[in-house]
Amino acid sequence: MLPLALAAPAQAVDLAWSGFGTLGYAQSDQPVNYQRFIDEKGTFKRDSVLGAQVDARFSQQWGATLQVKAAPSNHSDAQWQASLAWAFVSWRPSDDWLIRAGKLRLPFMLNTENADVGATYDFVRLPQEVYSIAPTTDVVGLSISKTWFGETFDWTAEAYSGKASTYWRYYGRDRTIDNARSAGSWFLPIDMKSSGLVLTARSMEHTVRVGYHEGEASRPGERMGSGFNYAACPPPPGAPAGTVMPPPYCYNLGANDLDKVRVPIITLGASVSLPEHFKLTAEYGKSKIGSASRGLNRWGGYVALSKRIGAWTPYVYYAKVKSKGDALSMYEQFNGNAGVVNPAYRSYQRLMADLLADYDQSTVAVGTSFWVTTKSVIKAEWSQVNTGVASSFVDAPVGGESGNRRIDVLSLSYSFTF
Amino acid sequence: MTRIFARSLLLASLLSGAAGGGAAEEIVVIAHPTLPKADRPTLLRLYTGRTVSIGMQSVTPLNLSAGNPLREKFLKDCLEQTEEQYTGYWLVRRYVGKGAPPPELSSVDEVLRYVQDNPGAMGYVPLSRLPRNANVVFRC
Repeated sequence: MLPLALAAPAQAVDLAWSGFGTLGYAQSDQPVNYQRFIDEKGTFKRDSVLGAQVDARFSQQWGATLQVKAAPSNHSDAQWQASLAWAFVSWRPSDDWLIRAGKLRLPFMLNTENADVGATYDFVRLPQEVYSIAPTTDVVGLSISKTWFGETFDWTAEAYSGKASTYWRYYGRDRTIDNARSAGSWFLPIDMKSSGLVLTARSMEHTVRVGYHEGEASRPGERMGSGFNYAACPPPPGAPAGTVMPPPYCYNLGANDLDKVRVPIITLGASVSLPEHFKLTAEYGKSKIGSASRGLNRWGGYVALSKRIGAWTPYVYYAKVKSKGDALSMYEQFNGNAGVVNPAYRSYQRLMADLLADYDQSTVAVGTSFWVTTKSVIKAEWSQVNTGVASSFVDAPVGGESGNRRIDVLSLSYSFTF
Repeated sequence: MTRIFARSLLLASLLSGAAGGGAAEEIVVIAHPTLPKADRPTLLRLYTGRTVSIGMQSVTPLNLSAGNPLREKFLKDCLEQTEEQYTGYWLVRRYVGKGAPPPELSSVDEVLRYVQDNPGAMGYVPLSRLPRNANVVFRC
């Protein structure tokens, strides 16, 4: 921290600069990509990030924070992207009120706001089964929080509202929605409006948080589809107008009949310090999205146990995510129909299944962090992922499945702040 | 008042040297004369950024740089924190957008000067460096 202008705080601005980064390497035992980048060849792209933050204090009541970061793009698997993570003005009219306006990261899970800063938690990476539940964690908007100071706990209620433009990533195993000849990912632009209320009880040792978030998703300039139909397969390119394909039928994406869809999310989390320097952390999230991608209706949770032993913090966690049963059943139906339709429509049926964006997987992870200094940490982790019916975290190979897979992942990272 | 405080500061510096007090000494928390007394929970809240005032008066808590033995003793005796806990707490707090940690000064002399010159300032010094007529708001 570089405190500037300390000699004249009433007139000058105090600027506190800081930076953070993670150099992370991960390698799996599978040729398919997991969490976009992790495969048997190894990657630095999954966990590496570099950022800088400046906190400006104009007075005890007024301040501003700006944070920029460079990380893999949120709308391309091939590119890196520099982005503004935070850019807000804060006003603290009294000790118990805090009002922030600008670009904010929302208090979804316990570590959502500091997720980019690896030196603020012990895991190599936060369990994606839970931390991917929210379609977006950043908004441009307003946040108002009120704190009640207690003997042991401070209780904070934070209400927020804002908008964001983001992308939903899809992956087609055999083909994409635009290209029938090539598998790959694509990123659907989405406009989100989000409001919510989060209650947090916090002491120096424990944190408990519960939140309700009401989102609204829409596609800029387009409508969204609500579901699928079982009807004649689409005529091939070049077929005369009015051609109706005979049975067997296909599952087809229905009409784009929705202007927007509701995205309600509930979040629960607790981190509790136990005797002998043990810490128990558990989080849960559940989302509901009424679009054709009904696999996004899912719950995720994890339980983690860690123990501080000097500079070391070994940990173990179990995480699970599962889409609603009807979404998983539909996936199996669509996939099954790929074996029934004319072979020319197989990849089309499998694309319909991919559009459901289903999640069904669990992860067991064992790892440790080693604090080199109070601001830098080396972490290592082995994790094993087991997928059920399907998992949108796995980019399945052409003709293959994301489901019924076991993926072992070794990860090593170095995180720092300065 | 300011002149007396300055003389006391000079005297205290001459008597105990410029490097700061020993780690075994009692620590006292001093503040600009305008600030009232504080208790341990208030001190903890101020140094953890959860409150920024006492009553209606704004407070600027001051810290010594990390690694300073007096800082470690202050954290242990006054806030009941280790350096790791305190730094870890602020790492998270800063990166959830709740502000920056207290300004860090490099010596007790700087703390004494800053507290003397700036309304709302609060810092800690070893008992041997306590200026006469200083506003002691808390004894750890």
